[in-house]
Amino acid sequence: MSTLRTEEMTLNMGPQHPSTHGVLRFVIRADGEVMREAVPDVGYLHRSIEKIAEKVGYHGFMPYTDRVDYVCAMFTNQGWAMASERLAGIEVPRRGEYCRVIAAELNRIASHLISVGTMGMDIGAMTPFTHALREREMINDLIEELCGARLTFNYMRIGGVAWDLPPGWREKALAYLDHFDPILDEYNSLISYNKIYVERLANVGVITPEEAISYNLVGPNLRACGIKWDLRKDIPYSVYPDFEFDVPVGEGRWGTLGDSMDRYMVRIMEMKESSRILRQALQNLPSGPVLAKVPRNFKPPKGECQVRIESARGDMGWYVVSDGTGYPWRVHVRTGSFAAMGIVQKLSRGLMIADLVTLIASLDVIAPEIDR
Amino acid sequence: MGAFGSYVQNIKDAVATIFDGMAVTASHFVRKPYTVQYPDRMPVRVQDTLPFRYRGILEVDLEICTGCLACERACPIDCIVISCEKDPKTRSMVISQFDIDIAKCMFCGLCSEPCPTGSIHHTSEFEGADYSLESLIRRFVKEPVQAYKPKKGPETDPRIAPILSRGMRYINEFAQPGGEKPEDEAEG
Repeated sequence: MSTLRTEEMTLNMGPQHPSTHGVLRFVIRADGEVMREAVPDVGYLHRSIEKIAEKVGYHGFMPYTDRVDYVCAMFTNQGWAMASERLAGIEVPRRGEYCRVIAAELNRIASHLISVGTMGMDIGAMTPFTHALREREMINDLIEELCGARLTFNYMRIGGVAWDLPPGWREKALAYLDHFDPILDEYNSLISYNKIYVERLANVGVITPEEAISYNLVGPNLRACGIKWDLRKDIPYSVYPDFEFDVPVGEGRWGTLGDSMDRYMVRIMEMKESSRILRQALQNLPSGPVLAKVPRNFKPPKGECQVRIESARGDMGWYVVSDGTGYPWRVHVRTGSFAAMGIVQKLSRGLMIADLVTLIASLDVIAPEIDR
Repeated sequence: MGAFGSYVQNIKDAVATIFDGMAVTASHFVRKPYTVQYPDRMPVRVQDTLPFRYRGILEVDLEICTGCLACERACPIDCIVISCEKDPKTRSMVISQFDIDIAKCMFCGLCSEPCPTGSIHHTSEFEGADYSLESLIRRFVKEPVQAYKPKKGPETDPRIAPILSRGMRYINEFAQPGGEKPEDEAEG
């Protein structure tokens, strides 16, 4: 009897696959269930946002930054505002900075809730997703009251924020945090410590610290490999030096250091830290104006600048070149998801096809942020 | 611990942690439901529950529009088209066209910020689905109207005063550059 002939199979995953978190495509070479390689094919969601900046001017580009990363739009807002302010040398009032930090940290919790929620859903646990989304919905309600939108906030302006906190909002936000902290523990016992869930994530997609650095990973993905690097602590911006918080790193408690479970747990722990920052910011809120005087016809002097902020997906860089006119000459955004996509090809070797979904979910890539 | 021991331990862990999770799920039987049935079974219309700052579909109060074109200039996607001309007889500004393309609008709110009277503002209306793009263009000027001229003192016209006070309330929500509003002190 002759042996069965086997051959390599080329599979196409995406761009419309529900678990690829947007329009992402992978070309998979597989030997049965085991992948030889998964090559990410990005660019399906390219909207040339960087080019749009050259056409709409500094003030008008603010709503477009929401679309760079719509899951944590506060950070893209903040990055653009900070870059413009640094070009023109504008100082933001202290209360304005506090408002920014409050909005941004609320948004970080919302973004991480999406991340941990969809992680469960991609694996097949549907219930945690609804729990996470329920909590996020309450944050959306808070932010809606603050700035009038639930997703594309457009809250920040060059020189501060557009709206001050509405009356009674601070108490509502503090009440929400009181409600949120126990919910996080409940969420952990619902899914995070579930043996089946842990077995599914532990030792999958292990990234060593050296690899993480050489592949330029940022944010929670980098910290999950045990590297304590957080821009809020290491290159402080805004008013983050005022607050006391820890930078959670991966410990490899459930498997190997830098596996998917570590990346998941770092996000859970970061939500706790964000809640701590929020409490301090809401309690020590200074009074004063929230918006600096900025001319409507905003023309920063000739020059260039690079601003780095710690978004929910890590180090986000805004590079802006000004030629002295009302329109930026060049804008470039460096995002964490794009770097995270680079490592997928390497990690996918020898992984099961079903684990690829886990890997993408644990890297927390957002398709519009990859392509911009 | 031998292979059999860890096998039993694994089963024990799995059962215990699944039971933990199930306890959370089961506790939701006695909690208040979070979901609502939209739109039929809402006690009040959703639009009425939205906060004042909610950025819904744009609306223009032509009675207090000054025809200053600040909103048209501020719009990053040019979805607002206004034409104003001076009436040679009365020498006053006449607005002959004020169109907003709702299909294009991205609800950023940049147009309502520079408005001096709060004439252009977001409503809490968000259900704007329609069968054609053409019908999504809101044309606010039916026939040419005279532009509003802000008075020195408070508005005296009983027809315009309530509209203006609503508009000014909208404008006052925005943060003033370098300024501080009275309610801030109570807040901060």
